[in-house]
Amino acid sequence: MTPPLLELENLGVRFGGLQALDAIELAVQPGEIFGLLGPNGAGKTTLFNLISGITPPSRGRVLWRGSEITNLDPSRINRLGIARTFQNLRLFHSLNCRDNVLVGLHRQARLPWAAALLGTAAGRRRQQTLRDQAQHLLELLEIGSLAHQPAAALSYGDRRRLEIARALASGPELLLLDEPAAGMNPSEKEALRLLIRRLQSQFKLTVLIIEHHVPLMLSLCDRLAVLNFGKRIALGTPEAVRQDPQVIEAYLGVGGVV
Amino acid sequence: MGAAFHDASLLQQMLIGALLGLSVYLPLSCGQLSLATPGFYAIGGTTAALLSTRVPALGGGDPTYPLSSVMLEMAVAALVSGLLALGIGKLVLRLRGIYLAIATIALVEILRVTTLNQEALGGAVGIFGIPQPFNNPGGYAAFTLVVLALICWLFARLEDNRTGRAMAAIRDDELAAACQGIDTAQTKLLAFVFSALVAAITGVISAHFFNSWNARLGNFDASITTRAFVVFGGSRTWLGPVVGGLLLTALPELLRPVGDLRLIVFGLVILVGPLLAPQGLVTPERLQGLGRSLQGLRRAPGGGEPTEALDPGPR
Repeated sequence: MTPPLLELENLGVRFGGLQALDAIELAVQPGEIFGLLGPNGAGKTTLFNLISGITPPSRGRVLWRGSEITNLDPSRINRLGIARTFQNLRLFHSLNCRDNVLVGLHRQARLPWAAALLGTAAGRRRQQTLRDQAQHLLELLEIGSLAHQPAAALSYGDRRRLEIARALASGPELLLLDEPAAGMNPSEKEALRLLIRRLQSQFKLTVLIIEHHVPLMLSLCDRLAVLNFGKRIALGTPEAVRQDPQVIEAYLGVGGVV
Repeated sequence: MGAAFHDASLLQQMLIGALLGLSVYLPLSCGQLSLATPGFYAIGGTTAALLSTRVPALGGGDPTYPLSSVMLEMAVAALVSGLLALGIGKLVLRLRGIYLAIATIALVEILRVTTLNQEALGGAVGIFGIPQPFNNPGGYAAFTLVVLALICWLFARLEDNRTGRAMAAIRDDELAAACQGIDTAQTKLLAFVFSALVAAITGVISAHFFNSWNARLGNFDASITTRAFVVFGGSRTWLGPVVGGLLLTALPELLRPVGDLRLIVFGLVILVGPLLAPQGLVTPERLQGLGRSLQGLRRAPGGGEPTEALDPGPR
């Protein structure tokens, strides 16, 4: 078996008196779509914040390809190959869609100082290539016609798509998607499921996804982990997780019908 | 002759206002409310005053002070304030919002009080008899216009490439920018240092133009005035602070006919401006709108030269 891409070892975080995450153990294999399920407040987004370097853990380690990345800052972690989207959408509102994606291309966009400053022919060609790349990503996410619209003018679903395009632009190996289907209707959700599958195979991505919509997660993910009150209560294939008594209890309460 | 003299002199002050506006704008364009500009402006002014009056070799043999020496002063002033900005920026840029503003006000005050109490730096009296590279304000205005054009061109280039986009991203959402792999600390430091360079170069020009320099020229009032240039003109494109600096420097002079009322009118403009145009006078949207209507005008009379019109493509 190949070594895991991302490993969480005994990871915990405490906010004052609240144990938001407790002793989380997780290993994500390269190429898989791994789902995180759990009721509101279970600590799913906090887990994303720990992985992406936004929140420092109180305890435990985060390993990327076997080496520790626990206390690195978000920009370093992104440069290692981990990109994310945000549950509450954090687009650059004053920029248009294409420029939002161009910001994602930041790492590749480096030009020699002279070329950037003087706008030499080579520099202009490079800028054009980057713009084309950004446009291409927008088109993959089916929002190519909105390239010149300000991000603030987009519909909710399109904003979610733009967040994914921007995250892909930084060239990640691991993509963290935080509730990408929130606010979408059933047909949009189905389209999103197909899109994630397509992007995953096209970019050879590993995907870690948080989503509340259980049917979507069961059909999309290779493996699932379920969190409740900061603890991992189940881990396994969708089929196994669906029948786990602890999961049924967390979602339906004790004595609930199946 | 008197009126022409006055006009060129006012124009020169307006250009200085535009340069200072650009200096305040740069950190602000990546979301950092720094009020340090007058501090670095004072470093530029003091450097020019000291070098030109204490180093005879710079004067050359001519009655007019050589322009090459002014350039040399600019280089020294830029180096001194650039290094200081680098050192201080690393510390103060960890602060956010109003705390950064307060820290930079403190920097301006420290520099002012130090200058005031050091006889070698001019003390309370200041430094007089700064030699003149130009013998009329028109010469100064022409020179400053070239400097301003050059700096505007640099700003326009910056906003069109990677670093400029990174700065805009940090302004909109610093955390999201970091998650796109942008080194936010380094980008903010770059803006802070570049802002200091612009202020220092402006100080060098001012010292020669004013003919004397003293510690009061870089004080807290100047922090607020230069900040007003950007609020009034707009902080979303480099053209905003230029327009704001030009207009707000000219306004008190243009209002001279109404006597002391002008101070009230000036205050009202600063108050009402942001209420009517919260984004400032110049915004990218308005510029685009202006561009479109200009294109419309150009095509309407001749029946159309439809070469590049209607192409919304790359800026």
